[in-house]
Amino acid sequence: MPVTDNSAGKMGATTEGTRARERLALLTADNASVPLQASVQAITAILLAALLIALPWLGLGYRFLSIAITTIYTAIGLYGLGLQFGQAGIMSVGHAALMGVGAYTSAILSVQLGWGFWTTLPFAMAMSAIVGGIIGLPTLRVGGQHYIIITFCFCALFVIVLTNGGTFTGSATGLDVGSVTPLPGINFDKLSNNYYLVLAALFLALAATYLIGISRYGRTLRAIRENEQLARSVGINVDLHKLGVLMVSGLFAGLAGVLQLYYLRHISPSLFGAFPSLYLALMVMLGGARYLYGPLIGAIIVNFLPEVLNLDPVDSRIAYGVCLLLVILLLPGGVSAGIKNIYCAIAGGSEEQGGGSNGRA
Amino acid sequence: MDILLQQLVNSLSVASVTILIGIGITLIFGLAGIVNFAHGEFLMVGGMATWFMVGAGINFFLALVFAGLLVGALGYAAERCLFRFTLNRPMNGFIMSIGLSVILQHAVIRVFNEFQKSIADPVGQVWTIGGVDIIAMRAIVVAITAVIVAITYFGISRSRYGMALRASVSDRDTAELMGIPVRRYVTGVFIYGSLLAGIGGALMISLFPITPFTGSVIIIRGFAVSLIGGLGNVGGAVVGGLVLGLVDGLSAGYGYPEWTDAYSLVVMILILVLRPQGLLGGTLGPKAS
Repeated sequence: MPVTDNSAGKMGATTEGTRARERLALLTADNASVPLQASVQAITAILLAALLIALPWLGLGYRFLSIAITTIYTAIGLYGLGLQFGQAGIMSVGHAALMGVGAYTSAILSVQLGWGFWTTLPFAMAMSAIVGGIIGLPTLRVGGQHYIIITFCFCALFVIVLTNGGTFTGSATGLDVGSVTPLPGINFDKLSNNYYLVLAALFLALAATYLIGISRYGRTLRAIRENEQLARSVGINVDLHKLGVLMVSGLFAGLAGVLQLYYLRHISPSLFGAFPSLYLALMVMLGGARYLYGPLIGAIIVNFLPEVLNLDPVDSRIAYGVCLLLVILLLPGGVSAGIKNIYCAIAGGSEEQGGGSNGRA
Repeated sequence: MDILLQQLVNSLSVASVTILIGIGITLIFGLAGIVNFAHGEFLMVGGMATWFMVGAGINFFLALVFAGLLVGALGYAAERCLFRFTLNRPMNGFIMSIGLSVILQHAVIRVFNEFQKSIADPVGQVWTIGGVDIIAMRAIVVAITAVIVAITYFGISRSRYGMALRASVSDRDTAELMGIPVRRYVTGVFIYGSLLAGIGGALMISLFPITPFTGSVIIIRGFAVSLIGGLGNVGGAVVGGLVLGLVDGLSAGYGYPEWTDAYSLVVMILILVLRPQGLLGGTLGPKAS
């Protein structure tokens, strides 16, 4: 069936430009981009923001807040991955390495030049974006699976380079940094202040994802995801957009990496290797890459599940694996797609039909 | 010179295991259209099963056969329960295989433990040929691999099953119209590839100790081998395995051993970028729907 889809698309493009455009509009209008009512969106956003801001005041303890910080900086990295996978359809299993590029750029600048958090942040983000773009160059030539394998190689290579980097990268033991340079009146050594710092970054990431999603740029990306040839034929510069989205994704990863660095105060190569990267891919699939809150939901599930179920690391990893299999088989659009479908069913909307086509990734 | 020869022989035996896993991946990825990231874990499970059976007093060569069959059965189960649902969406299948690899890895840790395991050399002889000491087991590993490669090569390129298989890769719909049961072939290839991984695992543990994490290291080499040679191309996998094995063996002996793993990765990235169809040419992998 997909084959006929494509050929029909091609014919439309060659015979008449307007029909191609109409078809493109139809293709991109899956359930994920069907907007919920504005009021529902606003209420969800306000409730979520209120909950997240109130979190340190709920008296849930030091450990809970630490996991929350981990969850949030992971989610920021996931928003980058969600953007490139959910919007443009380019999956990566080396995303932790991209976070690592940001974290190490920041740490090396801090160790070698003595720069602080705020000064290194833009450099780290830029570095991640540039590296993201460079790894992205091959995607212009090869297909999706080849790119995935390239990202995986990059990730393994990155760890080897860091491990053999001598004192410059701190070898296998890694690097240490000081605490976040305090802003006037705010000392980030306090855990709740660190939480608010990370949370502010999350809100930025959410806002950026939302704006990209509703913008012309986001629509263009979705058009490329659904039918690259058709997108090309209506005059979209596919190569440029692909590289662009990978670099934007790199910006998110750099931000997440620096936040991770300054939360942990110590980084080592193993934090950015194959396993963390695979878990990022898992989280984004689990949550649902095409939905605004999908990556956040994925990060929350994966980070809090072992805590809630009180599992040891081995069991919790088995649980992740099983969750991933179940989600892909039963809910290809991720948990957030499931939530949205349930909501649509309850609200009596006719949007349910998107359930099957959602997982086309 | 003697050292060089010895390095070559050692590299050849290491290359054998790489070739076995590479052939499995090249068949499953290139012909069945499934990107199975858990293939390395299949190999690890084969090795662990061999370790367990040898520990229980079973002869190594018998254990090797059992390990192959066990992992073949595992592959059958994985294909029937998981991958057949994602044939039209290879990307989802790929992500699922990551989940499977995490499960297998930690299931093995749960059943045994995370420490490395090894078995005594099952043959325990050293042959001296022309002043070069060759550990007999290494030569046997190379011989077993050579036989498997020959069987697979002729099976794919000469038999009518191989021909039908290649036909269904190049044009699935037409092949189905011609009466080829494509789905069944996919399952068959998956089982065969898994079986090779099981045998590879058994051979590997006869050479080095393995840990539950061996699979995730070897899988990159497997993909490297299959992509270097060209997907679906058995001869290509052999060439790729030899290239990687030699690079590794020689760099361990002469170059910078701490960069050993990096060489194969760099070779692979370069080939993927410069010649995505592989050195000897193959399919470009499953086409996304």
